[in-house]
Amino acid sequence: MIRLNEISRVFTVGEEDVHALDRVTIDIAPGEYLAIMGPSGSGKSTLLNVIGLLDRPDYGEYYLDNVNTTELDDDRQAFIRRHRIGFVFQFFHLVPRLTATQNVELPLILAGVTPKERKERVKKALASMELTNRSDHRPDQLSGGQRQRVAIARAIIMEPGVILADEPTGNLDRTSGMEVMNILEGLNRKGITLIMVTHDPGLSKRAGRRIQMTDGRVSEDTGLR
Amino acid sequence: MLIAMSIGVASVIIFTSLGEGAKNYVTREFSSLGTNLLIILPGRSETTGGPPPLLGQNPRDLTLEDAIALTKSSHIRYVAPITVGSAPVSYGEKEREVIILGSTPNIFEVRQLSTAQGEFLPEGDPSKGAAMCVIGHKLKKELFGNITPLGEWVRIGDRRFRIIGVLAKKGQSLGMDMSDVVIIPVASAQALFNTSALFRVMVQASGNKSIEKAKESIIRIIRERHDNEDDITIITQDALLSTFDRILTTLTLSIAGVAAISLLVAGILIMNVMLIAVSQRRSEIGLLKSIGATNSQVLGLFLVESALLSFTGALLGIIVSFIVIWVFMRMVPAFPVTIPVWGVSAAVGIALSAGIVFGIMPARRASMLNPVDALSRR
Ligand SMILES: Nc1ncnc2c1ncn2[C@@H]1O[C@H](COP(=O)(O)OP(=O)(O)O)[C@@H](O)[C@H]1O
Ligand SMILES: [Mg+2]
Repeated sequence: MIRLNEISRVFTVGEEDVHALDRVTIDIAPGEYLAIMGPSGSGKSTLLNVIGLLDRPDYGEYYLDNVNTTELDDDRQAFIRRHRIGFVFQFFHLVPRLTATQNVELPLILAGVTPKERKERVKKALASMELTNRSDHRPDQLSGGQRQRVAIARAIIMEPGVILADEPTGNLDRTSGMEVMNILEGLNRKGITLIMVTHDPGLSKRAGRRIQMTDGRVSEDTGLR
Repeated sequence: MLIAMSIGVASVIIFTSLGEGAKNYVTREFSSLGTNLLIILPGRSETTGGPPPLLGQNPRDLTLEDAIALTKSSHIRYVAPITVGSAPVSYGEKEREVIILGSTPNIFEVRQLSTAQGEFLPEGDPSKGAAMCVIGHKLKKELFGNITPLGEWVRIGDRRFRIIGVLAKKGQSLGMDMSDVVIIPVASAQALFNTSALFRVMVQASGNKSIEKAKESIIRIIRERHDNEDDITIITQDALLSTFDRILTTLTLSIAGVAAISLLVAGILIMNVMLIAVSQRRSEIGLLKSIGATNSQVLGLFLVESALLSFTGALLGIIVSFIVIWVFMRMVPAFPVTIPVWGVSAAVGIALSAGIVFGIMPARRASMLNPVDALSRR
C-alpha cells in the first residue's frame, strides 16, 4: 500500500528552483501494475526514487504500508529498501567485478543471511530467470537481456512487495525487451506491485493503470478513483 | 600506492634490523675483547667515557715505564702496553704490508687470543726486545700457504723476526682484523718504529668489583709519574658499551622515525587511491544503497578495503625486507643482523593505522553519497 500525499521535490539549479515533483498525490494498491509515462524531464525518475526511498521529498508525506516514511531516519529507510523494495534500472547497475551469482547475493549479504541459505536462494532466483548456466559469468560476459534478468533476480531475492523499474527495456533490443516485460508481468501476477517508468506507449498499454506526468505534476491517471 | 606502503614497511623493518645488528655487532666486538677491561689513552678527554680523542694533542706520552708501573697495583691483573704501526712483512719473495702490534704476553689474556700453532710471546722483561713474533692466520696463509711457519724467519721493516706462533681464527675484534697482524715484543716495536710512546695500554682489572679501584690506582700512579698531571683518558668497557648502545639506539629510532614518515606518506597515497575509487565507483555505491545498504555498511566496506590495501602493502613490505635482510646476511655474514619483533610490529601497526585513518575520509564520502546522484551519472 503506497500513499503519496502532496509530495513535492524541488531542485535548485543555479538561481532557479526546478519543481521535479509538484504536489503529487497518488494511492497505489498492493498488486497493482502501474505505468508512468511522460516526456523527458517531467519527473518520472524522481517520482520513482521517492517511492523507492532513494530520495526524500521536500514537502508532503509518503506512507508505505501505513508507515510515514518521511519521518524515518536513513538506517530505517535502508532497512525498508532492503526488505520491501526491488529496483530495476535502465542501465542494469550490476557490479562489474562480480559474477551473476555474487551480484544477486549482495542484498542477502547486506541482510546478514547465512552463506548456506544465500546459496540456495540465489540458485533458485537465477533458475527462475533461466540463468542457471550463466551463474558464474561476469556482467561483461552477458548480453543486455541476460544482465537485466540478473538485475531482476537481485531485485526479487529479498521477496519485496514492490518492484520499481525505471525504463527497464530502454537499453534492450525488442526481443530481450519483451522477455524482460514478460518476466516483470509474471512477477506482478504473483502479487508484487509493479511500478514501471516507460517511454513506450505500446508497453504502457499492457499496464492496468497509467499515469501521465507533465512538469512534475500528474496530468492524467487512468486508475484514479 | 601498494608499493609506497611496502617500501615504507620494508624500510622500517630493514633499518631497525640494521640498527639492532649494529648494536649486536658492537656488543659482540666488546665482549670478544675480554672482561673487566680498562683502556688507557694518552691525552685528556673532556668527556669521560666518550669516544677517544683521535686528534688530541698529547701533552705527555704514555711510556712503557708507565705501563710497567701499573702492574704494581693489586687491583690490576694484566697490563698490556700496545704500540701500533704498519710495516712490510716479507718471507722469501712474498711481501705484505700489515699491522704490527708491539705488546707483552698479557695481550693474549686481555684480548682473549689463542694460538693455532706454536706459542705466545714469552714472559720476560718487557723493556727488552726479542726478535720473535706471533702472526695472524691469514698472514700465515698468504706467506706460507700450508707449510708450518714455526721457526721460520720473516723480515719486518729492516729487522728479522723468528715466528714462534700462529694465532687461531677469531674474526674481527674492535675493528681490527686479528688474522692479518704480527705481534712482536713491545720493545722491539718501539725500536722498529723508533718511538718511546705507547699507542694505548689495555688493563684487565683483577675482578668485576675492582674496576673502579683499578681506575683510581691507574690515575694515581700515572699522576705521580706525570708531575701531578691528569693527562690520560681511561675508558672502561662498560662505559664504552653503554655509550655505543645509546648512540645506536638513537640512530635506530631516528631512522625508524624517518621510515614511519614514509608510511604516513603511503597513508596519504592510500587516501587518494580510495578517493579515486569512491568517485569511480559512484554508481556501485548508489546501487548498494538502492538494495538497502545502510550508510555504516558502505562506510565499513570502504574502510575494510583500505585496511586490506595497506595490509597487503605491509605484507609485501615484510617479504621485501626479509629478502633484503637475507641477501644482506649472505653478503656480510660477520654482521649479526636480527629482525626485531618491535620493528616489524611497529611497521605493520603504523601501516594499518595509516590505511584506516586515511581511509576514513574517502569512506565517509562514499557513505554520504546521495544514491540518486550516484546512480544517475554513468
Ligand atoms: N539531482 C538533480 N539535481 C538537479 N536537478 C535535477 C536532479 N534530478 C532531476 N533533476 C531535474 O528534475 C527534473 C525531473 O527529472 P527526472 O525525474 O529525471 O525526469 P524524467 O525521469 O521524467 O526524465 C528535470 O528537470 C531534471 O533536470
Ligand atoms: Mg528518467
